[in-house]
Amino acid sequence: MTWNDLVALFPILILALGSAALLMLGAWWPRGRELMGLGSLVAGLSVLAAIALTPPVTEISGLFGAGPYARFFTALWALVAALTLLLSRRYGAERRFSGGEYTALVLFAAAGMALLSGATSLVGLFLGLEAFTLVLYILIAFHREDDAGAEAGLKYLVMGAVATGFLAFGIALIFTSTGTFHLPEALSGLDPASGMRPVALLGWAMLLLALGFKVSLVPFHLWTPDVYQGAPAPVAGLLATGSKGAVFAALLGLTAGLEVGWDDLVPLLWLLCVLSMLVGTFCALRQDNLKRMLAYSSIVHMGYALMALLAAGPTGRTALVFYLAAYTAMTLGAFGVLTSFSRASGEAQWLGDLRGLGYRHPLRGAALTIFLFSLAGVPPSAGFIGKFAIFIAALDAGFIALAVLGVLASLVSVYYYLRVVVVLFMSAADDVPLHGGSRGEGAAIALCALATLGLGILPAPLLDLIAQLIP
Amino acid sequence: MASAIFYILGFTALAATALCITRRNPVHAVVYLVNALFALALMFYQLGAPLVAAWEVIIYAGAVMVLFLFIIMMLELAPASAEMQGPGWRRWGPVLLLSLVILGCTLALLGIQADQDGVPAFWVSPRAFGAALFDQYALAVQVVSFQLLYAAVGAFYVGKGSLRRRTQGEETP
Repeated sequence: MTWNDLVALFPILILALGSAALLMLGAWWPRGRELMGLGSLVAGLSVLAAIALTPPVTEISGLFGAGPYARFFTALWALVAALTLLLSRRYGAERRFSGGEYTALVLFAAAGMALLSGATSLVGLFLGLEAFTLVLYILIAFHREDDAGAEAGLKYLVMGAVATGFLAFGIALIFTSTGTFHLPEALSGLDPASGMRPVALLGWAMLLLALGFKVSLVPFHLWTPDVYQGAPAPVAGLLATGSKGAVFAALLGLTAGLEVGWDDLVPLLWLLCVLSMLVGTFCALRQDNLKRMLAYSSIVHMGYALMALLAAGPTGRTALVFYLAAYTAMTLGAFGVLTSFSRASGEAQWLGDLRGLGYRHPLRGAALTIFLFSLAGVPPSAGFIGKFAIFIAALDAGFIALAVLGVLASLVSVYYYLRVVVVLFMSAADDVPLHGGSRGEGAAIALCALATLGLGILPAPLLDLIAQLIP
Repeated sequence: MASAIFYILGFTALAATALCITRRNPVHAVVYLVNALFALALMFYQLGAPLVAAWEVIIYAGAVMVLFLFIIMMLELAPASAEMQGPGWRRWGPVLLLSLVILGCTLALLGIQADQDGVPAFWVSPRAFGAALFDQYALAVQVVSFQLLYAAVGAFYVGKGSLRRRTQGEETP
């Protein structure tokens, strides 16, 4: 490690060292709200550093990239962490979360996601992935009086450990086929001329299995609804946005360097994409729990993202990164509204709990409606532009069946998203007193809503930026 | 000769792991896991990584497995009485067999002369290992150390809560 490496690593160093400092501070100054506020500040500093500083090197220790692509995602995940902490302040105080630990864990999760998004080596990929998954196991079970949270944490831990085993085995096999961890040289084992093709193919299968588990593509999705339902709402937001987006960002980096073996992976990814869209859509139709519905809808959305990955080429990659940003804004916003609707006694996650809330709390009701419409892909929203870009890229790349299926899935999705809106606005309000929502929550939700609408109305600046920074 | 030992060790490790995950008695499972780790250690030695082999024995088989045994004892997971049917050799027979195989392989490996077939092409000295770990992969070590810190924090935090809840539950039956 040289001085230049440290400078390039600066935004992530802020997150990691800030998290350690706040953990220490929390031991002597146990004030949850203030610590979470400080955590938001640290994450905000990291966002600024990622945007403002130009790193002197493009790669750190041969493990992680420091180029514009990695910096973009560092800024995005640090922003997600800042908003998550902002959303967690009242929620955590009501449930007596220990502020130091919670803040430190969320900040380190963001550091792990940033590292994973910029991984340029299979070792970096493994380290980044494990850094934030380990933290998420704890965060999911963070509410100690909630048995559902403990159950969800344990489910994610056991299944995640199996997936980690596959990931390590897959990386070992890919290493065996080429003798290096560094991307993209490590991917040349898929070349028929190298003689190690079967080993490399097996390694890729295991790698895709593990990554598919983390982003909950269909044969590996069974944990998703239970974990979303049991996890605290702000943590579920982080889990749905950052952890999935970071894995996709890494997957883009992985496949971008893949030249010869890409054709081998296409049928496999195609199948995963179709299954994710179909199963996710059908399961989401019958959900009466908003968190479970969002879980299944996230499976469908990961199917769309996979479609963008399959489309490859600059258009597909631009569409993927744009979609990740849009999906992050709208999903984080939806979980943010759920967080702010929560009471000390529990979360308003069943459709019945939301009855008539649109009239009692018009601003937050409107925000939730914006997020759900955007998830459904109704213009003018970020979700619409994202899906449009993905379907165009898929059609250009010749995946006509996938694009048609994607359009059909989004048409059906309107039903289950609108169901929530109908409950919000078209039924009589129960007389349940709800918290008015704190200022921090309002700010976070407003920012997400603004991003969702802004990216929908004026997508060109972000699309241009992404086109410049994709690998 | 060397490749024969390698495959024998591989099958030993597989058999021990399979027995480990199918045992109902957790103490037996730990003993089989120790067997598997010894077999793996010898394989690392054969591949030219004596330091990793030593760690496999000292840290995994020695320290971590002892911790496992402590936890099993603390939580009283092991059945107090032996409920296994059949003759006694079925309990210790497989362990003895696996241990003898591993011992035999160790002796055979020690017997390989420096100029014979089966000596690895290179030995990774502790110095080379340290240089790779703390120079090339220094950042990785940092990330892992952070992970371990948060694993400890998480285990303490979640464990403390469940302990309190359990004692509360016992007080108010």
